[in-house]
Amino acid sequence: MVNRDVPRRRVVITGYGMITSLGKDAEETFENASQGKSGIDYLTAFDTTHLPCRIGGQVKEEWLEKSDPEADRFYKFSSRGLKLMRRATLEAAGQARLHELTNRERIGISFGFHGDSPEVDDLMFLHRFYDGKGTWDMKGLMRSGGYSFLNFLRRKPDVATTILPKMFDCKGPNLTVASACAAGSQAIGEAYRLIQEGKADVMIAGGSEAALNFMGFIGFVLIKALAERYSVPQKASRPFDRKRNGFVMSEAAGAVILEEREHARSRKIPILGELLGYGASADAYRITDTHPTGLGAVLAMKGALEEASVRPEKIDYINAHGTSTAMNDVTETKAIKEVFGARAKEIPVSSNKSMLGHSIAGAGALEMILTLMGMNRSIILPTINQEFPDPKCDLDYVPNEARRREHQVALSNSFGFGGQNACLCIGRYVE
Amino acid sequence: MMTGAGIICSLGSHVPEVWDALISGRTGIGPIDGFDPNGFSCLLAAQVRPLDISDLKIHPRDARIMDTPSYLLLKAARDAFRGARLEGTQIPREEIGFFAGMGMMDYDIEDLLPAVLKSLDATGGLNYSAFYSRGYTEVHPLWPLSMLNNIGFCQVGTSLDLQGENSVFSPHADSGMMAIAEGAKSVLDGRAQVVLCGGVSEKVSPFSLARARLCGVLNTTGAKDGPSCKPFDAERRGTVLGEGAGVIALERESSARRRGVEPLAAVTGHGCSCECQGGCAGPTAKAMTLAMKSALDRSGLNPSEIDLVMAHGDGTLAGDRSEIEAIQHVFSDGIENLHVSSSKGALGHLLAGAPLADAILTISMMNHGLIPATLHTSAPDPSIRFHLVHGKPVKKDLKRVLINCQSCEGQAASIVVEAAGG
Repeated sequence: MVNRDVPRRRVVITGYGMITSLGKDAEETFENASQGKSGIDYLTAFDTTHLPCRIGGQVKEEWLEKSDPEADRFYKFSSRGLKLMRRATLEAAGQARLHELTNRERIGISFGFHGDSPEVDDLMFLHRFYDGKGTWDMKGLMRSGGYSFLNFLRRKPDVATTILPKMFDCKGPNLTVASACAAGSQAIGEAYRLIQEGKADVMIAGGSEAALNFMGFIGFVLIKALAERYSVPQKASRPFDRKRNGFVMSEAAGAVILEEREHARSRKIPILGELLGYGASADAYRITDTHPTGLGAVLAMKGALEEASVRPEKIDYINAHGTSTAMNDVTETKAIKEVFGARAKEIPVSSNKSMLGHSIAGAGALEMILTLMGMNRSIILPTINQEFPDPKCDLDYVPNEARRREHQVALSNSFGFGGQNACLCIGRYVE
Repeated sequence: MMTGAGIICSLGSHVPEVWDALISGRTGIGPIDGFDPNGFSCLLAAQVRPLDISDLKIHPRDARIMDTPSYLLLKAARDAFRGARLEGTQIPREEIGFFAGMGMMDYDIEDLLPAVLKSLDATGGLNYSAFYSRGYTEVHPLWPLSMLNNIGFCQVGTSLDLQGENSVFSPHADSGMMAIAEGAKSVLDGRAQVVLCGGVSEKVSPFSLARARLCGVLNTTGAKDGPSCKPFDAERRGTVLGEGAGVIALERESSARRRGVEPLAAVTGHGCSCECQGGCAGPTAKAMTLAMKSALDRSGLNPSEIDLVMAHGDGTLAGDRSEIEAIQHVFSDGIENLHVSSSKGALGHLLAGAPLADAILTISMMNHGLIPATLHTSAPDPSIRFHLVHGKPVKKDLKRVLINCQSCEGQAASIVVEAAGG
């Protein structure tokens, strides 16, 4: 089915970076995750007293402040989502020595981002200039000065891809992907495609999300997607466990540098891994529910395998979407069984969200990087909070403790709210 | 190959209707309807007529979280789907992909206002503890869904049962072009047999107006009666927002032939580049030049083989200036014979919908051998050396058309559309 007439350009990874509730960078996050630590705690960013869910995965303020002293001006004008994005991309670009490249027109950007949610204060402020019937007091609003440019920039998904080209001086293709929880993975997938077809040699790709403010958070409270029953915050995110009851929201950003293989080799940059395939699909079922048999998830995984020319029996590990909602974890399990048949139970499957929570547009990028790091270190990260087995979730979820094992090829799943699915196939780099 | 097309905009809700209006020089721009635009310094927009949504077969449950852009995209997608004879098709659903560019989905202040009103104290200030404890429950539970950029996209995909490869880009014109490019690639690589590629504008609302104004791209002369978007005119003063969506179906020629569907035209090359002039003034002439050149390279064409450039031409001072410079650079030889036109004088600026509308109108232009006039433009910018089609349509046999688009934030993108069988 897939056209193999044209030799493909191989795409490798030459840099990555992240900032999460478990660490200020990729190294610290991985280290903590390999010890099975949780980054989830009671939220301090806003008043949660009366909310049914009061927890989340926050990034520590000092990680943002101290580690980035030259960014004062940037910080003054940017939202939290952009600050996180800056940290993650700087780390990735530094590792890939992006500054050494001379042809900036061959560097592009692909980022998953949704803009930021309005603050309660914004609503209050706007309300003063609106009569509730369709008429705005624009003169008053303009005079008040609060109707600023940046106020609107904050809510735009493309700010990421507006700021990044300036930050890193890249003039290649530039796109923002806004497909909810699949955005990070789809952004990486689209970047992969742009390199494959020769429109760029290097892409900065990833995702960022910082919806832990009141309006962003209550959005998910209102649709009843969050975990509301937990003894301690650290135990709330329990993918595949019988007592799971919703996801835990987190803020985070992750970024990778994708590069055409010959390009990377010619400049002798260490190659950290290879992106072998990308599959995307849609459930086309319901906006709020995943397909009951995991149809879209199956298509995405099969698509990634096919593009990678990897047979299902070659997959050593699956980094699950595993959100800890009742529905996702069952359908994802079904989908894995559908794709891998009898072998499904032999493949380690784990969810980083058990420790990091769910960082929406950031999640796909983080999980791809953690998968890669695990591969290079021969460590499979665990799914923590596995206490009460769910008969419907009967795979090897790498319960509670990381496992030392060599592995070469893995899948990383991301399934978006609305029914968009993405799967990345990642391999340890071999010449 | 394009095998289906659907369009809806201020000039009409299907291709022949829009084409007739465009070629007879009608404008879709008029006074803003639906809210009081006084105070926004721009009273004009090209809005779509109120939609009859009963024939879109939308479940009432879904209608609650759909806004104008979702309806527009759905309408255009349905028409493209039908046009490509995909209704009841034997093609497996996972072989039908969907890519789209979408503008911002703005939150509806009416959804949130009750929560604020319930939480006011005696002095009219916000009582935060009242808001945090009770007020917020007044927010409609599905409000968060109407905010997500991908929900409208997924609703369309669900409604047509499109299970193949997909992605949604946001929010400027270049995102509509990216949808075409990625869709074409998916078909060429064989990951999908057919893809729908779409783009949809934002809703004309206080928020979209304010955003455009703050970006400095809007015509703020405040003229209520005169035409206000004058692409490439010496007297141009900025752009005017438009509402609309366009969707095309793409598939390989062999697939179209096998299915017995007549190809409408072919998309043969895409290029893009990003370098901002600064602020929100759009890409530099250099970025536009690179985008056009790379689209031509990928089509294997020389500039001299292009019959028409459908320019981005949004009527902004800086945007049009660099586009003139870039076009004259790329087409330096034989520039006097090059025809250039822009649809934005008639349709307004459709953002992510613009390149789709231009691609679809290009099919009509090829079929009729006619280039519509750039509306409202009377005195072309003195720096122009190409043949800007204005005043009245020009008759010309069209085989190869280059379409440009740009985001105000610095991305330029171009595609080449060639006549079917040409």
